Amino acid sequence: MISTLTLAEVVPMSGLSLSHFILTSAVLFVIGLVGFLTRRNMIIMFLCTELMFQAAAIAMIAFGRFHYDASGQVFVIFILTIAAAEAALALGLVVLLYRRKETLSTEVWSELKET
Amino acid sequence: MEDTGPFIYAASVIGAVALYILIAPRTAWGRTLKAAAVIFGLGAFGYLIQSSVNVYTADADQPAGILFIIFSVIAIASAVRMITHHRPVYCALYFVLTVLSSAALFLILEAEFMAFALIIVYAGAILVTYMFVLMFAQQSSTPPSAGEEHGIALYDRIPREPAAACFVGFIMLALLTSTALYTPKELSPPTAADSTARLWETYEPMPRRQVKVIRLVGEQFSEIEADDIIAFNDPPNRAVVLLDGSEVEVVLPADHLPSNIRTVGMDLVYKFPVSLELAGVILLLAMFGAVVLARRQIELSEDEKRAAAGLGRLSDEEDEEPAPPGGSTGGGA
Repeated sequence: MISTLTLAEVVPMSGLSLSHFILTSAVLFVIGLVGFLTRRNMIIMFLCTELMFQAAAIAMIAFGRFHYDASGQVFVIFILTIAAAEAALALGLVVLLYRRKETLSTEVWSELKET
Repeated sequence: MEDTGPFIYAASVIGAVALYILIAPRTAWGRTLKAAAVIFGLGAFGYLIQSSVNVYTADADQPAGILFIIFSVIAIASAVRMITHHRPVYCALYFVLTVLSSAALFLILEAEFMAFALIIVYAGAILVTYMFVLMFAQQSSTPPSAGEEHGIALYDRIPREPAAACFVGFIMLALLTSTALYTPKELSPPTAADSTARLWETYEPMPRRQVKVIRLVGEQFSEIEADDIIAFNDPPNRAVVLLDGSEVEVVLPADHLPSNIRTVGMDLVYKFPVSLELAGVILLLAMFGAVVLARRQIELSEDEKRAAAGLGRLSDEEDEEPAPPGGSTGGGA
């Protein structure tokens, strides 16, 4: 945050505001949500959750810039940490599940359902 | 502002319908319909962007910055391509493109450290790990079973309930956009003076750096040498120093503001030390979990081992000559 100008003055000839970035974050989040509900490949479902993390990160950096506070960026560092830890454990579990059934589909594990 | 409500929802509906057209696997839909869906979807997003003007800016006659439009369109287009592509490795590569464009959005927001950290950690480590596991799990050495076409599995080609997913997506998008655009008008953006005052707050727990900044102010005068700093940033962007027994108020120089990485580092250590330690503990536990998960050996039966190696079942080969000795151990767990 070197500049002391408002967000609209940084990028020249632009009317950028906070809500532009919030909208981009919302659209990316919804795309990740739809992808998570639609795909049946275990790893692609985890990739869609990572996309939702990305959208939340964009929103946080935008709010941090809006209030000239570095806490938004600090929390994005923690989001990256959690995403890395989750990726490691999730991929370990996916590898184990793949060894069982030799497929990445989630439908072969439907015996885990209640009914 | 309030009368654009129905158009916001209409834009969300158009976006959801466009997404459904791109996801659903109807082969009867030609490429022109999909191209029209892409154009309408991006047009809906562009309308949402245009309608978000006047919410948080003072001067709203100008359109959104061209760089922001380019990178947000690339991010959204590659995200849509990621969830619709039938090859998983291409999905991961399109996600890398999404991460790169969101890093560019971070640069527009002047968070350059976070942009580089995102590229290094997310695209460089996490997604490469995902691609390793994808390539490991997509072995095409086994002969294609029923339902596969050109080596692409059935669960990758056909999505699961795309209509319901797009409906849920529309509801979520309408909720998020109405919350983002219809907030109360009393929220006013902070002024530019607040920004420098907030940045100078980074140096408040660092007295030696305060003295260094005051010395930089004093270089313009030949004999200023601050004996004591009474107040730093107390009237915002100014410091009160003790000079020859009298208090002098000096203006803090704008070109010696702390940089982004210095601000983030100070906040991380000064304001969130416990969170920093807990992040380290979480990574340690993730490492433990990964080691425990990798140690588990799954006992496959002999038939499963031979099927994984591409050989026939043991009961079918009773009359044939025995398999080579390394054949059954190659595909084991």
